[in-house]
Amino acid sequence: MTATDSGGLENKSLPQKSVPLVSMRNIQKSFGSVHALRGASVDVYPGEIVALVGDNGAGKSTLVKVMAGVHAADSGDFEIDSKPANIRTPADATAHGIATVYQDLALCNNLDAVQNLFLGRELTGSSLFGRRIRRAECEVRAREVMTRMRLGNLSLTRPVGAMSGGQRQNIAIARSILWTPKVVILDEPTAALSHSAAQQVADLIRGLADDGLGIVIVSHDIHHFVVNATDRIEVMRLGANAASFRSKDVTGEMVVNAMVGGNEGVNLAG
Amino acid sequence: MASISTTAAPKRRTFGELLSSDLRALPVVIALIALWIFFSTQSDIFLTPRNLSNLLQQSTVVGIMALGLMFVLLVKEIDLSIAAIHGVTSVLSAKLIVDYGFSPWLALPAAILIGAAIGSCSARWVNWVGVPSFVVTLGLGLALNGIQLLLLPATARYGLMGTGVEYIAQTTIDGMGAWMTWLIGVALLASLILSGVARRRRAGLEVSTLHGVVLPIAGAGVLGAIVVLVLNANQGIPLPVLIFVSLLGIGGYVLNETQFGLYLYAVGNNDEAARRAGIRVPLIRMAAFAIAGGIAAVAGIVASSRTLGVGVFSGGGVGGGTLLLESIAAAVIGGVSLFGGRGAIHAALLGALVIGTVQNGLNLMGVENEVRLIVTGLLLVLAVSIDKIIEKLTGQQSF
Repeated sequence: MTATDSGGLENKSLPQKSVPLVSMRNIQKSFGSVHALRGASVDVYPGEIVALVGDNGAGKSTLVKVMAGVHAADSGDFEIDSKPANIRTPADATAHGIATVYQDLALCNNLDAVQNLFLGRELTGSSLFGRRIRRAECEVRAREVMTRMRLGNLSLTRPVGAMSGGQRQNIAIARSILWTPKVVILDEPTAALSHSAAQQVADLIRGLADDGLGIVIVSHDIHHFVVNATDRIEVMRLGANAASFRSKDVTGEMVVNAMVGGNEGVNLAG
Repeated sequence: MASISTTAAPKRRTFGELLSSDLRALPVVIALIALWIFFSTQSDIFLTPRNLSNLLQQSTVVGIMALGLMFVLLVKEIDLSIAAIHGVTSVLSAKLIVDYGFSPWLALPAAILIGAAIGSCSARWVNWVGVPSFVVTLGLGLALNGIQLLLLPATARYGLMGTGVEYIAQTTIDGMGAWMTWLIGVALLASLILSGVARRRRAGLEVSTLHGVVLPIAGAGVLGAIVVLVLNANQGIPLPVLIFVSLLGIGGYVLNETQFGLYLYAVGNNDEAARRAGIRVPLIRMAAFAIAGGIAAVAGIVASSRTLGVGVFSGGGVGGGTLLLESIAAAVIGGVSLFGGRGAIHAALLGALVIGTVQNGLNLMGVENEVRLIVTGLLLVLAVSIDKIIEKLTGQQSF
């Protein structure tokens, strides 16, 4: 019934000799007078799906934004592959192999899947009137990625605005792994999806983890998605880690209890 | 599961889906044909080579303006100063030529550069201060109108006859020259299409020879040949028409093939997504405004050559007048969205032809100017309404 403290759990649940891809320790972050993160920590291991859960304002979004380079941490240790990393911008994070799928997906609805996948990083050659896009090569790469994700039958040439929410979510995920990251952060990946579409996304994410990627998920969908589709759950409260669970050991109620602080024995890390 | 059918045969699309994608231009083309049929029943002169040649020439200035404006509309902005840029740059170049003895070879390119610079200034204001482009360019347009009046001499007019500028409108390419021009155009298009097809084949992607190669080249070739035949039956290809067509070709290449063109569409649809993808959104916006300004100056040069002079009336007169409204209307009738991210290059051509046809046809019928304005206005509303109705009926948002 009681949650194990985070330190103890990691040793039990993880594969032998696994080194975290990303390790964030004791991260502090303030926005003016608001102390959003008060020593929050999270480790991301290869092949593991870790969920960050917490009430609104618990700091989970801020923590992943620090990881994604959207916000720079005020203090704390941020290591990638056991080496200190200085990540201040989204481009830094991308360069270190951390890809992010935003909740709003950040897709251009008028462009097709190939154009969205490569947006900002097109393969180009020079021409008289500016850089010409090497469309054929982009399309081949896109098809490879889609096939690897078992999305081979998704249209690459229709505007993504004409697609369903689940398909759009899949394209956003495909875009994040196009440049072979080590860690993928997904912000509320199932927020606007039907149950079956959410299940497809869960399968897709599991496939990525099986390929050795570390996955970080921020989600409010505790009962269906988080307990069933992840490996480890980090509960945050008031800008710090409140509890840590192995997903298969807990029910949604236990996680929610830890989120709202109604659970005795929870390690309220400071 | 892993149905790795890389050559998944595209599903047969419904007519509605086609209307909201590949056949988006169909309603405008039908409207244009209907207008031509109507006017040919009303006037025997309408379908003569001489009149069609006139019609095409009359459409070039608005067409060129609409082409430039398209770049701004694509990034979800608007430039209400393009007519004023057109006016002030053409007066400025005329002043340089007439008062200061500059060669047109120097003064005209200078006018284009100044037009581009003015456009980039309004973009800077929009980017950095955050004032909506509607307001910035409305104010800028009025200010430029004032400068245009200041630049004019006491006679309120510069005549350009004998300066060399008049040759732009008077030059025609006829006979074999016209056919050579046609041949070069078709060859350029064919080489572009064939090189693209070759790349796809090398990459192992399927290409439909009929839809991807034969139809576009043959279609453009036949259409071009008809135009050349008609124009040759009169005086040949007028240089302004060739300028317009060349700009259409370059514009189409930039929008369809280049990274910059793609970024225009991306920024227009979702500037936040574009920013997060690493696109320098302010820079793209600035380029769009600079292009619109530069092309407005090109239109100004063509117009001043046609009217053999510049004056208060250049650039549509104070406030931009019908020139500004018709340029915006042409782009929108052709299918460019005012809400950004949508519109193909042929929009400028089709829109300008619709407006030029109404003007030309009603003139031939001896109808007053008032009626022309009413008809053009109604056509604008109708064009956008048809678009919306198709969206509603098919449930497909068209892009």
